[in-house]
Amino acid sequence: MTQAEQEELVMFLERDQFVGDTSRPVRRMALTPRMTIALWALRVFVVVVSAMVIYTFVSQLA
Amino acid sequence: MTPPPVPGPPLLDTGVGIDGGIALPRPPLTAEDAARSRDRFRVHNARRHGHRWTLLWLLIGPGILAMIGENDGPSMISYATAGATYGIGFFVPFILVTFAMAVVCQEMCMRVGAVTHRGYGQLVLERFGPLWGWFSAGDLILTNLVTLIAEFVAIRIGLSFFHMSAGVAALLGVVLVVFTLSGGRYWRWERIVLGMAVFNGLFLVAAIMTRPHLGTIGHALLTASPFPGGSFNTLLLLVASTIGATVTPWMIFFQQSASADKGLTPSDLRHGRYDTIAGGVLAALCGIGALIAGAALFGHGGSSIQGLSGAGFPGALKLVSGNAVATVFALGLIEAGAVAILTISASTGYAVGECIGVAHSFNNSTRKATVFYGANVGAALIAAAIILIPGAPLLSIALNANVLATVLLPVALVFLIMLANDRELMGKWVNTPTTNRIAVAIVVFISICGAAYGVDSFLQTVHII
Repeated sequence: MTQAEQEELVMFLERDQFVGDTSRPVRRMALTPRMTIALWALRVFVVVVSAMVIYTFVSQLA
Repeated sequence: MTPPPVPGPPLLDTGVGIDGGIALPRPPLTAEDAARSRDRFRVHNARRHGHRWTLLWLLIGPGILAMIGENDGPSMISYATAGATYGIGFFVPFILVTFAMAVVCQEMCMRVGAVTHRGYGQLVLERFGPLWGWFSAGDLILTNLVTLIAEFVAIRIGLSFFHMSAGVAALLGVVLVVFTLSGGRYWRWERIVLGMAVFNGLFLVAAIMTRPHLGTIGHALLTASPFPGGSFNTLLLLVASTIGATVTPWMIFFQQSASADKGLTPSDLRHGRYDTIAGGVLAALCGIGALIAGAALFGHGGSSIQGLSGAGFPGALKLVSGNAVATVFALGLIEAGAVAILTISASTGYAVGECIGVAHSFNNSTRKATVFYGANVGAALIAAAIILIPGAPLLSIALNANVLATVLLPVALVFLIMLANDRELMGKWVNTPTTNRIAVAIVVFISICGAAYGVDSFLQTVHII
Protein backbone atom coordinates (compact mmCIF):
# COMPACT_ATOMS: atom_id res chain seq x y z
CA MET A 1 0.00 0.00 0.00
CA THR A 2 1.40 3.38 -0.99
CA GLN A 3 1.73 6.30 1.40
CA ALA A 4 -1.03 8.17 -0.43
CA GLU A 5 -3.42 5.23 -0.15
CA GLN A 6 -2.67 4.95 3.53
CA GLU A 7 -3.39 8.64 4.00
CA GLU A 8 -6.77 8.26 2.31
CA LEU A 9 -7.69 5.26 4.41
CA VAL A 10 -6.79 6.66 7.80
CA MET A 11 -9.08 9.64 7.28
CA PHE A 12 -12.07 7.46 7.96
CA LEU A 13 -10.98 6.05 11.30
CA GLU A 14 -11.14 7.82 14.61
CA ARG A 15 -7.79 8.16 16.28
CA ASP A 16 -8.66 5.81 19.14
CA GLN A 17 -9.97 3.23 16.66
CA PHE A 18 -6.55 2.23 15.40
CA VAL A 19 -5.32 -1.19 16.47
CA GLY A 20 -2.22 0.51 17.82
CA ASP A 21 -4.43 2.56 20.12
CA THR A 22 -6.94 -0.10 21.17
CA SER A 23 -4.05 -2.44 22.03
CA ARG A 24 -2.90 0.00 24.69
CA PRO A 25 -4.50 -1.10 27.99
CA VAL A 26 -6.90 1.28 29.70
CA ARG A 27 -6.05 2.32 33.23
CA ARG A 28 -7.14 -0.09 35.94
CA MET A 29 -10.07 1.04 38.09
CA ALA A 30 -9.50 1.27 41.83
CA LEU A 31 -12.27 -0.85 43.36
CA THR A 32 -13.42 0.27 46.78
CA PRO A 33 -13.52 -2.42 49.51
CA ARG A 34 -17.32 -2.31 49.38
CA MET A 35 -17.35 -2.92 45.62
CA THR A 36 -14.85 -5.76 45.98
CA ILE A 37 -16.96 -7.44 48.67
CA ALA A 38 -20.11 -7.03 46.56
CA LEU A 39 -18.40 -8.54 43.51
CA TRP A 40 -17.09 -11.48 45.52
CA ALA A 41 -20.51 -12.05 47.09
CA LEU A 42 -22.07 -12.11 43.63
CA ARG A 43 -19.34 -14.46 42.39
CA VAL A 44 -19.90 -16.90 45.29
CA PHE A 45 -23.67 -16.74 44.77
CA VAL A 46 -23.31 -17.54 41.09
CA VAL A 47 -20.88 -20.41 41.69
CA VAL A 48 -23.14 -21.99 44.34
CA VAL A 49 -26.27 -21.77 42.19
CA SER A 50 -24.35 -23.04 39.13
CA ALA A 51 -23.13 -26.01 41.17
CA MET A 52 -26.74 -26.77 42.16
CA VAL A 53 -27.92 -26.61 38.54
CA ILE A 54 -25.04 -28.80 37.32
CA TYR A 55 -25.57 -31.31 40.17
CA THR A 56 -29.27 -31.54 39.34
CA PHE A 57 -28.54 -32.00 35.66
CA VAL A 58 -25.98 -34.75 36.29
CA SER A 59 -28.33 -36.50 38.78
CA GLN A 60 -31.10 -36.50 36.19
CA LEU A 61 -28.76 -38.22 33.74
CA ALA A 62 -28.00 -41.04 36.17
CA MET B 1 -9.41 -1.89 -2.98
CA THR B 2 -8.70 1.74 -2.24
CA PRO B 3 -11.72 3.98 -1.86
CA PRO B 4 -11.82 6.92 -4.24
CA PRO B 5 -11.09 10.32 -2.73
CA VAL B 6 -14.09 12.11 -1.32
CA PRO B 7 -14.52 15.85 -1.77
CA GLY B 8 -14.61 17.88 1.41
CA PRO B 9 -13.29 17.18 4.87
CA PRO B 10 -13.77 13.75 6.46
CA LEU B 11 -15.87 13.28 9.59
CA LEU B 12 -12.85 13.21 11.79
CA ASP B 13 -9.45 14.27 10.66
CA THR B 14 -7.21 11.95 12.58
CA GLY B 15 -4.00 12.99 10.91
CA VAL B 16 -2.48 14.07 14.18
CA GLY B 17 -4.31 13.41 17.39
CA ILE B 18 -4.41 15.96 20.15
CA ASP B 19 -4.45 14.46 23.60
CA GLY B 20 -4.26 16.83 26.53
CA GLY B 21 -2.73 19.49 24.34
CA ILE B 22 0.14 17.27 23.24
CA ALA B 23 0.28 16.32 19.56
CA LEU B 24 0.64 12.57 19.26
CA PRO B 25 1.85 10.73 16.16
CA ARG B 26 -0.71 8.54 14.47
CA PRO B 27 -0.29 4.81 15.18
CA PRO B 28 0.88 2.70 12.23
CA LEU B 29 -1.86 1.50 9.89
CA THR B 30 -2.36 -2.27 10.08
CA ALA B 31 -4.23 -4.49 7.64
CA GLU B 32 -7.06 -4.65 10.19
CA ASP B 33 -7.23 -0.84 10.30
CA ALA B 34 -7.26 -0.68 6.51
CA ALA B 35 -10.15 -3.15 6.23
CA ARG B 36 -12.16 -1.31 8.88
CA SER B 37 -11.40 2.01 7.26
CA ARG B 38 -12.88 0.82 3.97
CA ASP B 39 -16.15 0.04 5.77
CA ARG B 40 -16.05 3.42 7.49
CA PHE B 41 -15.49 5.10 4.14
CA ARG B 42 -18.83 3.76 2.90
CA VAL B 43 -20.55 4.87 6.10
CA HIS B 44 -19.03 8.31 5.74
CA ASN B 45 -20.16 8.56 2.13
CA ALA B 46 -23.73 7.48 2.91
CA ARG B 47 -23.95 9.96 5.76
CA ARG B 48 -22.41 12.76 3.75
CA HIS B 49 -24.84 12.32 0.86
CA GLY B 50 -27.88 11.84 3.08
CA HIS B 51 -28.53 8.26 1.95
CA ARG B 52 -30.48 7.25 5.05
CA TRP B 53 -31.43 3.73 4.02
CA THR B 54 -27.93 2.95 2.80
CA LEU B 55 -26.55 4.23 6.09
CA LEU B 56 -28.96 2.04 8.01
CA TRP B 57 -28.03 -0.96 5.86
CA LEU B 58 -24.35 -0.36 6.48
CA LEU B 59 -24.69 0.08 10.23
CA ILE B 60 -27.08 -2.74 11.12
CA GLY B 61 -25.60 -6.07 12.06
CA PRO B 62 -24.33 -6.70 15.59
CA GLY B 63 -27.70 -6.01 17.25
CA ILE B 64 -29.75 -8.16 14.90
CA LEU B 65 -27.17 -10.94 14.98
CA ALA B 66 -27.01 -10.95 18.78
CA MET B 67 -30.80 -11.09 19.10
CA ILE B 68 -31.52 -13.55 16.29
CA GLY B 69 -28.43 -15.53 17.28
CA GLU B 70 -30.01 -15.94 20.68
CA ASN B 71 -33.18 -17.23 19.00
CA ASP B 72 -31.09 -20.36 18.79
CA GLY B 73 -31.83 -24.06 18.90
CA PRO B 74 -32.23 -24.42 22.69
CA SER B 75 -34.22 -21.17 22.86
CA MET B 76 -36.67 -22.27 20.21
CA ILE B 77 -36.96 -25.67 21.89
CA SER B 78 -37.55 -23.87 25.22
CA TYR B 79 -40.30 -21.73 23.68
CA ALA B 80 -41.88 -24.72 21.93
CA THR B 81 -41.68 -26.76 25.15
CA ALA B 82 -43.33 -23.94 27.08
CA GLY B 83 -46.09 -23.79 24.47
CA ALA B 84 -46.56 -27.56 24.40
CA THR B 85 -46.60 -27.80 28.20
CA TYR B 86 -48.64 -24.74 29.19
CA GLY B 87 -50.14 -23.25 26.02
CA ILE B 88 -49.40 -19.66 25.06
CA GLY B 89 -51.19 -17.86 27.92
CA PHE B 90 -48.44 -16.62 30.21
CA PHE B 91 -45.48 -16.98 27.86
CA VAL B 92 -46.45 -14.60 25.01
CA PRO B 93 -46.18 -11.48 27.20
CA PHE B 94 -43.30 -13.02 29.15
CA ILE B 95 -41.24 -13.42 25.95
CA LEU B 96 -41.96 -9.78 25.08
CA VAL B 97 -40.78 -8.70 28.54
CA THR B 98 -37.59 -10.74 28.30
CA PHE B 99 -36.76 -9.26 24.90
CA ALA B 100 -37.38 -5.77 26.25
CA MET B 101 -34.83 -6.66 28.95
CA ALA B 102 -32.46 -7.90 26.25
CA VAL B 103 -32.75 -4.62 24.32
CA VAL B 104 -31.76 -2.63 27.42
CA CYS B 105 -28.72 -4.85 28.05
CA GLN B 106 -27.62 -5.06 24.42
CA GLU B 107 -27.92 -1.31 23.90
CA MET B 108 -25.38 -0.88 26.69
CA CYS B 109 -23.03 -3.37 24.98
CA MET B 110 -23.32 -1.58 21.66
CA ARG B 111 -22.73 1.81 23.29
CA VAL B 112 -19.68 0.69 25.27
CA GLY B 113 -18.22 -1.01 22.16
CA ALA B 114 -18.83 2.02 19.92
CA VAL B 115 -17.42 4.54 22.40
CA THR B 116 -14.38 2.59 23.64
CA HIS B 117 -13.68 0.52 20.46
CA ARG B 118 -12.84 -2.35 22.78
CA GLY B 119 -14.56 -5.66 23.46
CA TYR B 120 -16.17 -6.63 26.76
CA GLY B 121 -13.52 -9.21 27.71
CA GLN B 122 -10.69 -6.77 27.10
CA LEU B 123 -12.31 -3.98 29.10
CA VAL B 124 -13.19 -6.18 32.09
CA LEU B 125 -9.67 -7.59 32.12
CA GLU B 126 -7.95 -4.21 31.87
CA ARG B 127 -10.31 -2.14 33.98
CA PHE B 128 -11.02 -4.61 36.81
CA GLY B 129 -7.91 -6.77 36.66
CA PRO B 130 -6.99 -10.23 35.32
CA LEU B 131 -8.86 -12.13 38.04
CA TRP B 132 -12.27 -10.70 37.13
CA GLY B 133 -11.40 -10.77 33.45
CA TRP B 134 -10.61 -14.46 33.48
CA PHE B 135 -13.63 -15.23 35.67
CA SER B 136 -15.81 -13.60 33.01
CA ALA B 137 -14.03 -15.38 30.19
CA GLY B 138 -14.30 -18.69 32.10
CA ASP B 139 -18.06 -18.22 32.58
CA LEU B 140 -18.41 -17.44 28.91
CA ILE B 141 -16.37 -20.39 27.69
CA LEU B 142 -18.33 -22.78 29.95
CA THR B 143 -21.76 -21.54 28.91
CA ASN B 144 -20.69 -21.24 25.28
CA LEU B 145 -19.49 -24.81 25.17
CA VAL B 146 -22.73 -26.12 26.68
CA THR B 147 -24.79 -23.86 24.42
CA LEU B 148 -22.82 -24.88 21.34
CA ILE B 149 -23.54 -28.52 22.16
CA ALA B 150 -27.21 -27.58 22.34
CA GLU B 151 -26.95 -25.83 18.93
CA PHE B 152 -25.60 -28.99 17.35
CA VAL B 153 -28.40 -30.86 19.13
CA ALA B 154 -30.93 -28.54 17.47
CA ILE B 155 -29.42 -29.14 14.04
CA ARG B 156 -29.41 -32.86 14.75
CA ILE B 157 -33.09 -32.78 15.73
CA GLY B 158 -33.93 -30.83 12.58
CA LEU B 159 -31.91 -33.08 10.29
CA SER B 160 -33.20 -36.28 11.89
CA PHE B 161 -36.65 -35.30 10.65
CA PHE B 162 -35.18 -35.65 7.16
CA HIS B 163 -33.57 -38.96 8.17
CA MET B 164 -30.06 -37.55 8.36
CA SER B 165 -27.60 -38.68 10.98
CA ALA B 166 -25.83 -36.90 13.83
CA GLY B 167 -22.63 -37.05 11.79
CA VAL B 168 -24.18 -34.87 9.10
CA ALA B 169 -25.24 -32.34 11.77
CA ALA B 170 -21.74 -32.23 13.23
CA LEU B 171 -20.13 -31.85 9.81
CA LEU B 172 -22.58 -29.17 8.67
CA GLY B 173 -21.93 -27.02 11.75
CA VAL B 174 -18.15 -27.22 11.54
CA VAL B 175 -18.06 -26.62 7.77
CA LEU B 176 -20.25 -23.53 8.20
CA VAL B 177 -17.90 -22.08 10.79
CA VAL B 178 -14.84 -22.71 8.61
CA PHE B 179 -16.57 -21.33 5.49
CA THR B 180 -17.68 -18.06 7.10
CA LEU B 181 -14.27 -17.47 8.65
CA SER B 182 -12.44 -17.73 5.39
CA GLY B 183 -12.81 -14.16 4.15
CA GLY B 184 -10.61 -12.03 6.37
CA ARG B 185 -13.31 -9.34 6.52
CA TYR B 186 -15.80 -8.57 9.29
CA TRP B 187 -18.26 -7.20 6.73
CA ARG B 188 -18.33 -10.45 4.74
CA TRP B 189 -18.81 -12.58 7.84
CA GLU B 190 -21.59 -10.34 9.15
CA ARG B 191 -23.51 -10.29 5.87
CA ILE B 192 -23.36 -14.06 5.43
CA VAL B 193 -24.71 -14.64 8.94
CA LEU B 194 -27.36 -11.92 8.50
CA GLY B 195 -28.49 -13.65 5.31
CA MET B 196 -28.84 -16.93 7.16
CA ALA B 197 -30.63 -15.25 10.08
CA VAL B 198 -33.51 -14.26 7.78
CA PHE B 199 -34.66 -17.86 7.93
CA ASN B 200 -35.42 -17.52 11.66
CA GLY B 201 -38.75 -16.32 10.23
CA LEU B 202 -39.54 -19.97 9.50
CA PHE B 203 -40.84 -20.25 13.07
CA LEU B 204 -43.31 -17.49 12.34
CA VAL B 205 -44.37 -19.33 9.18
CA ALA B 206 -44.79 -22.55 11.19
CA ALA B 207 -46.93 -20.69 13.73
CA ILE B 208 -49.17 -19.23 11.02
CA MET B 209 -49.52 -22.65 9.42
CA THR B 210 -50.90 -24.05 12.70
CA ARG B 211 -53.77 -21.53 12.31
CA PRO B 212 -53.69 -20.16 15.83
CA HIS B 213 -56.75 -18.42 17.20
CA LEU B 214 -55.98 -14.69 17.10
CA GLY B 215 -58.40 -13.97 19.94
CA THR B 216 -56.47 -16.35 22.21
CA ILE B 217 -53.17 -14.63 21.36
CA GLY B 218 -54.70 -11.20 22.01
CA HIS B 219 -56.13 -12.40 25.31
CA ALA B 220 -52.75 -13.81 26.32
CA LEU B 221 -51.03 -10.54 25.41
CA LEU B 222 -53.41 -8.43 27.42
CA THR B 223 -53.90 -10.64 30.47
CA ALA B 224 -50.83 -12.95 30.64
CA SER B 225 -53.25 -15.71 31.45
CA PRO B 226 -54.04 -18.51 31.95
CA PHE B 227 -51.13 -18.72 34.37
CA PRO B 228 -49.32 -22.07 34.09
CA GLY B 229 -50.27 -24.76 36.57
CA GLY B 230 -48.73 -28.16 37.32
CA SER B 231 -45.21 -28.79 38.61
CA PHE B 232 -43.65 -25.68 40.17
CA ASN B 233 -40.16 -26.91 39.34
CA THR B 234 -41.01 -27.44 35.65
CA LEU B 235 -42.47 -23.94 35.54
CA LEU B 236 -39.30 -22.52 37.14
CA LEU B 237 -37.19 -24.43 34.62
CA LEU B 238 -39.15 -23.01 31.71
CA VAL B 239 -39.14 -19.47 33.13
CA ALA B 240 -35.38 -19.62 33.76
CA SER B 241 -34.69 -21.17 30.38
CA THR B 242 -36.93 -18.58 28.67
CA ILE B 243 -34.88 -15.81 30.29
CA GLY B 244 -31.74 -17.66 29.25
CA ALA B 245 -33.23 -17.77 25.76
CA THR B 246 -33.20 -13.98 25.48
CA VAL B 247 -30.34 -12.53 27.54
CA THR B 248 -27.08 -14.46 27.85
CA PRO B 249 -23.39 -13.86 28.58
CA TRP B 250 -22.32 -14.59 25.00
CA MET B 251 -24.62 -11.86 23.65
CA ILE B 252 -22.86 -9.32 25.88
CA PHE B 253 -19.41 -10.38 24.71
CA PHE B 254 -20.53 -10.66 21.11
CA GLN B 255 -22.35 -7.38 20.58
CA GLN B 256 -19.75 -5.23 22.28
CA SER B 257 -16.86 -6.89 20.44
CA ALA B 258 -18.70 -6.97 17.11
CA SER B 259 -19.62 -3.28 17.44
CA ALA B 260 -15.95 -2.47 17.97
CA ASP B 261 -14.88 -4.83 15.17
CA LYS B 262 -17.41 -3.28 12.79
CA GLY B 263 -15.91 0.10 13.62
CA LEU B 264 -18.97 1.78 15.14
CA THR B 265 -18.28 5.17 16.66
CA PRO B 266 -20.30 7.48 18.93
CA SER B 267 -21.76 9.11 15.80
CA ASP B 268 -23.39 5.74 14.99
CA LEU B 269 -25.13 5.25 18.34
CA ARG B 270 -28.57 6.13 16.99
CA HIS B 271 -28.32 3.52 14.26
CA GLY B 272 -26.85 1.05 16.73
CA ARG B 273 -30.00 1.49 18.80
CA TYR B 274 -32.21 0.94 15.72
CA ASP B 275 -30.22 -2.22 15.01
CA THR B 276 -30.65 -3.51 18.57
CA ILE B 277 -34.36 -2.69 18.75
CA ALA B 278 -35.02 -4.21 15.31
CA GLY B 279 -33.20 -7.34 16.41
CA GLY B 280 -35.26 -7.50 19.60
CA VAL B 281 -38.58 -7.08 17.77
CA LEU B 282 -37.73 -9.65 15.08
CA ALA B 283 -36.43 -12.14 17.60
CA ALA B 284 -39.48 -11.72 19.84
CA LEU B 285 -41.82 -12.31 16.88
CA CYS B 286 -39.96 -15.44 15.80
CA GLY B 287 -39.72 -16.67 19.41
CA ILE B 288 -43.47 -16.25 19.85
CA GLY B 289 -43.82 -18.12 16.55
CA ALA B 290 -41.98 -21.11 18.05
CA LEU B 291 -44.15 -20.88 21.17
CA ILE B 292 -47.36 -20.88 19.13
CA ALA B 293 -46.14 -23.72 16.90
CA GLY B 294 -45.28 -25.73 20.01
CA ALA B 295 -48.66 -24.87 21.54
CA ALA B 296 -50.30 -26.88 18.77
CA LEU B 297 -49.19 -29.88 20.86
CA PHE B 298 -50.82 -28.50 24.02
CA GLY B 299 -53.55 -30.93 24.96
CA HIS B 300 -52.03 -33.59 22.70
CA GLY B 301 -49.51 -34.87 25.22
CA GLY B 302 -47.09 -32.07 24.35
CA SER B 303 -45.59 -32.04 27.82
CA SER B 304 -44.21 -35.53 27.33
CA ILE B 305 -42.69 -35.40 23.87
CA GLN B 306 -40.54 -38.40 23.21
CA GLY B 307 -38.11 -39.36 20.52
CA LEU B 308 -34.43 -38.39 20.23
CA SER B 309 -34.25 -38.62 24.02
CA GLY B 310 -37.12 -36.22 24.43
CA ALA B 311 -36.76 -33.60 21.72
CA GLY B 312 -38.90 -34.88 18.89
CA PHE B 313 -40.85 -31.70 18.21
CA PRO B 314 -40.93 -31.97 14.41
CA GLY B 315 -42.14 -35.58 14.62
CA ALA B 316 -44.82 -34.69 17.16
CA LEU B 317 -45.93 -31.69 15.10
CA LYS B 318 -46.25 -33.91 12.05
CA LEU B 319 -48.82 -36.04 13.86
CA VAL B 320 -50.86 -33.09 15.13
CA SER B 321 -50.43 -30.29 12.55
CA GLY B 322 -49.29 -32.08 9.43
CA ASN B 323 -46.12 -32.68 7.48
CA ALA B 324 -45.74 -29.13 6.16
CA VAL B 325 -45.68 -27.52 9.62
CA ALA B 326 -43.27 -30.15 10.86
CA THR B 327 -40.96 -29.62 7.88
CA VAL B 328 -40.88 -25.84 8.36
CA PHE B 329 -40.24 -26.26 12.09
CA ALA B 330 -37.41 -28.74 11.43
CA LEU B 331 -35.83 -26.38 8.89
CA GLY B 332 -36.18 -23.56 11.42
CA LEU B 333 -34.32 -25.60 14.04
CA ILE B 334 -31.49 -26.23 11.58
CA GLU B 335 -31.26 -22.49 10.82
CA ALA B 336 -31.47 -21.49 14.48
CA GLY B 337 -28.69 -23.88 15.41
CA ALA B 338 -26.51 -22.89 12.45
CA VAL B 339 -26.70 -19.12 13.01
CA ALA B 340 -26.07 -19.52 16.72
CA ILE B 341 -23.06 -21.76 16.13
CA LEU B 342 -21.53 -18.93 14.09
CA THR B 343 -22.29 -16.13 16.55
CA ILE B 344 -21.44 -18.11 19.69
CA SER B 345 -18.19 -19.38 18.18
CA ALA B 346 -17.39 -15.77 17.28
CA SER B 347 -18.02 -14.61 20.86
CA THR B 348 -15.69 -17.37 22.09
CA GLY B 349 -13.02 -16.21 19.65
CA TYR B 350 -13.42 -12.58 20.70
CA ALA B 351 -13.25 -13.44 24.42
CA VAL B 352 -10.16 -15.66 24.10
CA GLY B 353 -8.34 -13.19 21.85
CA GLU B 354 -9.18 -10.21 24.04
CA CYS B 355 -8.18 -11.90 27.29
CA ILE B 356 -4.92 -13.30 25.93
CA GLY B 357 -4.22 -9.97 24.27
CA VAL B 358 -3.73 -11.15 20.70
CA ALA B 359 -5.39 -10.11 17.41
CA HIS B 360 -9.15 -10.65 17.66
CA SER B 361 -10.89 -9.36 14.57
CA PHE B 362 -12.57 -10.80 11.51
CA ASN B 363 -10.66 -8.10 9.63
CA ASN B 364 -7.48 -10.10 10.12
CA SER B 365 -6.19 -12.98 8.07
CA THR B 366 -6.15 -16.43 9.66
CA ARG B 367 -2.37 -16.23 9.86
CA LYS B 368 -2.46 -12.93 11.75
CA ALA B 369 -5.24 -13.96 14.17
CA THR B 370 -4.56 -17.66 14.66
CA VAL B 371 -5.81 -17.76 18.26
CA PHE B 372 -9.04 -15.91 17.38
CA TYR B 373 -9.88 -18.19 14.47
CA GLY B 374 -8.59 -21.25 16.31
CA ALA B 375 -10.95 -20.60 19.26
CA ASN B 376 -13.82 -20.12 16.80
CA VAL B 377 -13.27 -23.46 15.13
CA GLY B 378 -12.06 -25.28 18.25
CA ALA B 379 -15.24 -24.52 20.21
CA ALA B 380 -17.38 -25.78 17.33
CA LEU B 381 -15.28 -28.92 16.95
CA ILE B 382 -15.56 -29.88 20.64
CA ALA B 383 -19.33 -29.37 20.64
CA ALA B 384 -19.69 -31.33 17.40
CA ALA B 385 -17.76 -34.24 18.87
CA ILE B 386 -20.00 -34.36 21.97
CA ILE B 387 -23.27 -34.67 20.06
CA LEU B 388 -21.96 -37.77 18.37
CA ILE B 389 -22.18 -39.58 21.72
CA PRO B 390 -25.09 -42.03 21.37
CA GLY B 391 -28.06 -41.66 23.72
CA ALA B 392 -27.25 -38.12 24.86
CA PRO B 393 -30.26 -36.49 26.65
CA LEU B 394 -30.85 -33.83 24.03
CA LEU B 395 -33.83 -31.91 25.41
CA SER B 396 -32.30 -31.82 28.87
CA ILE B 397 -29.02 -30.45 27.49
CA ALA B 398 -30.88 -27.80 25.49
CA LEU B 399 -32.98 -26.57 28.43
CA ASN B 400 -30.15 -26.71 30.95
CA ALA B 401 -27.84 -24.77 28.62
CA ASN B 402 -30.23 -21.84 28.86
CA VAL B 403 -30.63 -22.21 32.64
CA LEU B 404 -26.86 -22.19 33.15
CA ALA B 405 -26.64 -19.04 31.03
CA THR B 406 -29.33 -17.43 33.20
CA VAL B 407 -27.51 -18.35 36.41
CA LEU B 408 -24.15 -16.97 35.22
CA LEU B 409 -25.61 -13.86 33.65
CA PRO B 410 -25.84 -11.52 36.70
CA VAL B 411 -22.05 -11.23 37.03
CA ALA B 412 -21.64 -10.34 33.36
CA LEU B 413 -24.44 -7.78 33.61
CA VAL B 414 -23.00 -6.15 36.73
CA PHE B 415 -19.66 -5.58 34.97
CA LEU B 416 -21.48 -4.29 31.91
CA ILE B 417 -23.40 -1.78 34.03
CA MET B 418 -20.17 -0.69 35.72
CA LEU B 419 -18.49 -0.18 32.35
CA ALA B 420 -21.47 1.72 30.98
CA ASN B 421 -21.29 4.04 34.00
CA ASP B 422 -17.53 4.50 33.83
CA ARG B 423 -17.21 8.20 33.00
CA GLU B 424 -13.47 7.89 32.42
CA LEU B 425 -14.16 5.44 29.57
CA MET B 426 -17.54 6.58 28.36
CA GLY B 427 -17.44 10.34 28.84
CA LYS B 428 -20.85 11.85 28.17
CA TRP B 429 -22.21 8.52 26.90
CA VAL B 430 -22.60 6.97 30.36
CA ASN B 431 -25.92 5.39 31.39
CA THR B 432 -28.79 7.67 32.30
CA PRO B 433 -30.28 7.19 35.78
CA THR B 434 -33.37 5.59 34.21
CA THR B 435 -31.24 3.06 32.29
CA ASN B 436 -29.42 2.24 35.51
CA ARG B 437 -32.64 1.66 37.43
CA ILE B 438 -33.97 -0.64 34.72
CA ALA B 439 -30.63 -2.46 34.41
CA VAL B 440 -30.37 -3.09 38.15
CA ALA B 441 -33.98 -4.34 38.23
CA ILE B 442 -33.10 -6.76 35.41
CA VAL B 443 -30.08 -8.10 37.32
CA VAL B 444 -32.18 -8.64 40.46
CA PHE B 445 -34.99 -10.31 38.54
CA ILE B 446 -32.67 -12.64 36.64
CA SER B 447 -30.74 -13.52 39.82
CA ILE B 448 -33.97 -14.43 41.63
CA CYS B 449 -35.27 -16.55 38.73
CA GLY B 450 -31.98 -18.42 38.30
CA ALA B 451 -31.57 -18.99 42.03
CA ALA B 452 -35.20 -20.09 42.45
CA TYR B 453 -34.79 -22.85 39.88
CA GLY B 454 -31.31 -23.83 41.11
CA VAL B 455 -32.31 -24.10 44.76
CA ASP B 456 -35.72 -25.72 44.15
CA SER B 457 -34.37 -28.37 41.78
CA PHE B 458 -31.38 -29.07 44.01
CA LEU B 459 -33.57 -29.55 47.11
CA GLN B 460 -35.80 -31.91 45.13
CA THR B 461 -32.81 -33.86 43.84
CA VAL B 462 -31.43 -34.40 47.34
CA HIS B 463 -34.99 -35.20 48.53
CA ILE B 464 -35.23 -32.37 51.07
CA ILE B 465 -38.53 -31.18 49.60
